[in-house]
Amino acid sequence: MEGVTLLYPKGFINAHTVRVFEGEIQKALAQGQFKIVVNCAGLAYIASAGLGAIMGAIEEIRGNGGDLRLANLNDAVRNIFEILGFHHLYRVYPSEVEAITSFGPPAAAGS
Amino acid sequence: MRSPKASLTISIPSETSFLALVREVTKKMAASAGFADGTADRLALAVDEATTNVIEHAYHGSADREIELRIEDRGPEFRVEVVDSGATVDPRAVPRVDLGQYVSERRTGGLGIHLMEKIMDSVTFRRAARRNVCCLVKRKDSAAAR
Repeated sequence: MEGVTLLYPKGFINAHTVRVFEGEIQKALAQGQFKIVVNCAGLAYIASAGLGAIMGAIEEIRGNGGDLRLANLNDAVRNIFEILGFHHLYRVYPSEVEAITSFGPPAAAGS
Repeated sequence: MRSPKASLTISIPSETSFLALVREVTKKMAASAGFADGTADRLALAVDEATTNVIEHAYHGSADREIELRIEDRGPEFRVEVVDSGATVDPRAVPRVDLGQYVSERRTGGLGIHLMEKIMDSVTFRRAARRNVCCLVKRKDSAAAR
């Protein structure tokens, strides 16, 4: 299955809301969708619970030839990524379009 | 003469739905203590993480216990104490983050304490009167330097 799954978390991801976010990622994986873009335009902040949810899924995603990439981080979220060094572990793009096209054209997706 | 500084003590149930309130209150107190928006955001996150730790580790997820937050502008520093009456948790037993091992070992614990230590100038834990006290301190001069 080609194509990129888009997730649009809204508000905040902390210990209270992380199950919803985790559920959306797991839903994509269950459908065999391993190319995921998380558009963070509506995300005010993320706590360690949310980062843990990404951490917990990334091995399966990459093991299946996919990746989870992020777009549109606000200053607060980008700052947390930098504090934790997550910007070295995940690819982050200024816009959703750039994040999607970073996966390459569907026909040429061979990596 | 020294002018009085703001302090606020609140009690909340050990319920994750209150984390948003914890965050808002901390952010407003940090702003009124003179911290810039970005720093106030990070301080709010550190207190969110400390409160989450209490819910998950000291109270093992029970939502019907009490957590006390003491937020205090002490002049040169901003201090928040997160107090619970749950099980004694040895924070030194929490494994610290090794980002290199994260991806390969699927480890997701320890991130919260790591964040708290990165954001605050000091994070200490003590047991007093059968309660656990997590004390978070941010110096104003250290924040100004950033």
